[in-house]
Amino acid sequence: MRLAYLWDSRKCIACGACIINCAANYPELRFEKEPNPMWKWLGANIRRVIREKGKPELRLLSCQHCENAPCVTACPTGASYIEPETGLVKLNKDKCIGCKSCIVACPYGARWLHPKTMYPEKCPGPVCEQLIARGEEPLCVAVCPAEARDFGDIDDPQSSISQKIKRHRVSRMLEHLGTEPKYFVVR
Amino acid sequence: MVSLTRRDFVKLAGAFAGLALVGGAAYAARTQVQRMALAQKKEPLELQYVRTFCSMCGALCGIEVVLNGGKPIAVRAIDGQPQTGACGRGASLPWLYDNPLRLRKPLKRVGEKGEGKFVEVDWDTALNEIAAKLKAIVEKHGFKSIAITHHDIWSGYMGLFQYLFGTPNRVDHSGSCFGHGTVARRHTFGIEHHRFVDPDYDNANYVLAVGRTISTASMGVVNRVMRNENLRIVVVDPRAPEIAFTSAEWIPIIPGTDAAFLLSLIHIIISERLYDEEFLMRFTNAPFLIKPDGRPLVEADIREGGGTTVYLVMDAAATPPSLADHRRATRPLLLLPEERREVTLKDGSSVRVKTAFELLAERAAKYPPAEASKITGIPKDTIVRIAREFAAYRGVADDTWYAAKNGNEYDVVRALLILNALVGNIDRRGGLVFREDQGFPSFVTERTVEGRRVAETVYGARMPEAMFADRHAPRVDRVKYPENTSTFDVVFDAILKGDPYPIKALFLIGSSPMAREMKTSKVIEAYKNLELLVVIDVLPQDDVDYADYVLPDTIFLERDETTDIKWSLHAATHVQKKMLDPPPDVDARDALWIMFEIARRAFPERAYALGWKDEYADHKRYREEFMKSFEEAVKSRLASNWRMDVAVVRRELDEKGYIMFKPKEFGVRPYRTALPTPSGKVEIYSLRAVTVGMDPLPDQRPPLYTLPKAPNEFYLVNGKSPNVSVHAALMEPMKYLIERSVWMNPKDAERLGIKDGDLIELEGIDTGVKRRARVKVTERVREGVLFTYAQSAGRTSKLLPPDHFAREGINPHHLNDARPAPGTGGNTHNTSVRVRKVM
Repeated sequence: MRLAYLWDSRKCIACGACIINCAANYPELRFEKEPNPMWKWLGANIRRVIREKGKPELRLLSCQHCENAPCVTACPTGASYIEPETGLVKLNKDKCIGCKSCIVACPYGARWLHPKTMYPEKCPGPVCEQLIARGEEPLCVAVCPAEARDFGDIDDPQSSISQKIKRHRVSRMLEHLGTEPKYFVVR
Repeated sequence: MVSLTRRDFVKLAGAFAGLALVGGAAYAARTQVQRMALAQKKEPLELQYVRTFCSMCGALCGIEVVLNGGKPIAVRAIDGQPQTGACGRGASLPWLYDNPLRLRKPLKRVGEKGEGKFVEVDWDTALNEIAAKLKAIVEKHGFKSIAITHHDIWSGYMGLFQYLFGTPNRVDHSGSCFGHGTVARRHTFGIEHHRFVDPDYDNANYVLAVGRTISTASMGVVNRVMRNENLRIVVVDPRAPEIAFTSAEWIPIIPGTDAAFLLSLIHIIISERLYDEEFLMRFTNAPFLIKPDGRPLVEADIREGGGTTVYLVMDAAATPPSLADHRRATRPLLLLPEERREVTLKDGSSVRVKTAFELLAERAAKYPPAEASKITGIPKDTIVRIAREFAAYRGVADDTWYAAKNGNEYDVVRALLILNALVGNIDRRGGLVFREDQGFPSFVTERTVEGRRVAETVYGARMPEAMFADRHAPRVDRVKYPENTSTFDVVFDAILKGDPYPIKALFLIGSSPMAREMKTSKVIEAYKNLELLVVIDVLPQDDVDYADYVLPDTIFLERDETTDIKWSLHAATHVQKKMLDPPPDVDARDALWIMFEIARRAFPERAYALGWKDEYADHKRYREEFMKSFEEAVKSRLASNWRMDVAVVRRELDEKGYIMFKPKEFGVRPYRTALPTPSGKVEIYSLRAVTVGMDPLPDQRPPLYTLPKAPNEFYLVNGKSPNVSVHAALMEPMKYLIERSVWMNPKDAERLGIKDGDLIELEGIDTGVKRRARVKVTERVREGVLFTYAQSAGRTSKLLPPDHFAREGINPHHLNDARPAPGTGGNTHNTSVRVRKVM
């Protein structure tokens, strides 16, 4: 099984529901003055990037769950790893020494420093991890009003995500780096 | 004492090494202790999913709240629900429940109005004092001197409040929102509310959204739009609304020129004969004959004793074509042969008539693409392309929701509705359609029982007519704007000048006129002249500072409610379920309870007549008895309206959170059933407008503010996003998600030497009011136009912390003037400003 995320840029209305729902992973940061100082953002694993020049363009950035993940390679202790059962990039906090190598290594800027624990946080957050383990959708997918998000097994040709990848024009961000991301963008 | 294992120590050392990058060792040591404490916490989730409808804005979408250990943490969409999905507003609801800003206790003003100085009082003190003041006001000025305003929260109960306080003056927010469009819909279809007329997004091929930002409103609508893979969307707006991020096409337009654009489309569709002739002949009043005085030719004009509402057409079924009752004509002509224009009237005189269609064509011909391009700033070729695409795809022009902006939107919506009729796409699959009747009971209705007129509540209480007091007196704003839905600006005139009669007491229920109404300085002046201002809300909106009493309301997660599903074409109902008690330090009560308890203390007989009892002073008892029987009554009335077993209705609502009564049936009106217009047809040429002295055809009229002229003068437009509502705007996530800057096009910025992030001063050209804001330089706004979000910035309440993010930026209503539109009484929210760089 290889679990992957999909974001349909043709459908996303930038409502922010996925981002805000993602913040449920970090309830301890809800009312913090600076919940995510590194990103100057809320305590969530998804960032919003807007291009102000030319046709309005939006990108929602989060962990790309690379098959060839620079954060895993850079981690000196093996705390960052690819979970063999799911293919998701995860962090074993018991092994993390807080060196931030993973933050620096990630070309997508997908990791941020939790201001209280100083762990390098990323998607999926602790709540979504448990939801995924139960076979439920992560919170960003479950909330999306535009059905612009999907999550599932790309090894299963019948899965909804596999069908969408087959049907639509999809790309992956910074593909030329050879990271083999598993975050598919429908264009 | 923190004991460290060897492994912890290694981690700690690593943390120190890394932290040298970001801060001092002392900081690192402190956070490391917290870090380990948190890391040890691996609590399993105790999840619970409760279906309800979201009240973070007025759309009331169906959502599932995710509770962990009994606390809301997130929300989810509900598969199959007719109006499903949460946006950023809904997703931020976990921040509402235990928000530090929540109003916690009844507050009584002790300082001057506007100072924001209050003391906490107990509920009895607050309610008794309000009741005593209200009683004194009513004795002196009558019941009609009480006004109530609201938005979406508790809106279903407002009819009850009008009987409770014997006043006609429930004046809602609609003049600041969909008011213009509502009058336009009434004048075209005889059907008013924007919810009752909507595109069939599920089946549409092409949606043209002019001044209508689909993405700001109901997420149920967004869901339907985005599920439709065949749909092309074109948005016309001075700034790129959020939907412009999708595959939609965004056409920037000069503010206030939408009607010229639409009339140009109409012109092209007529001159290239791209219209649906059959539909126009049979189901619209396009073939009606119009006399030179603008009135329709009726049978009474040509024959003694003829009908005054028998509208005549030229029927080509006869040779030569001759006059006929439009209901009997089989081939009514849209274009008259010249020799048939002359009609002899019953007095022997003659008039030259034209068809309504010809008059529309003449009007639209004022705006050929080249001319419309000059007015709108949209390239000529684009206008021609959109007209042809619209006709070829048999498109649907969205009839707008939030479009009260320039004061000339009545004409815009009239033109939009006519455009739909031209391509014959009315109540057809994929067209502009009429929503199913919901069969949802009104909470209070007047009827005659045993020869006596009574106001009967849904739960069976009856107030006799003798107690209606001023309930049927003319509503204060309707005196001036009889065609309107609401014009709250007139309430301020009534407070300040007694025009047309004095308003002395005002209740704000979950709504903020300072965020929604024009010219904030006038709002404040009016507040200062009130004898009693009571705010019932959950958060400190700016208005709170001027209130005599502030009463904390419960939030929607803390109470039950049943309502129809507002943004679906089907007949369906959903329920809101109480899933939480207010936090321990929040002494909130339902607004419904508050209003009844004020009435019981001021005018007890009125409260008793509507079924209230002294025992309900106990909020718990009111919930257990009054509310429970209220909710039960709504469900059993629903069941009887739909001829269903109440047990089935109750079960479906309990288990699924919603119930579908009837799916949308297409092709009913105007095909099988007449529309409630004077002619029973779609009125291209509005007969109602003729009766009330308005122009029966749309035109491009100037916006109701001074237009910018100098190089440093701009239009200032405002709008919404899926993050904007008065309540959501104060939630922590919006610190990051809402941009509180003023948008400026790069070309304008370069011309004025302004850079992204610069501070500018904006001066309202019509008011001279000055405010400061940071600039965002972006191509998401047209040249010559500045944009800022409504309701979300420039907050002023002293109850907000001094550094609260919502204080940043501007409230555009500080800069505009109070100019309701003639005819419709709708607001004018946009304005023009002079810009100066500060630093």
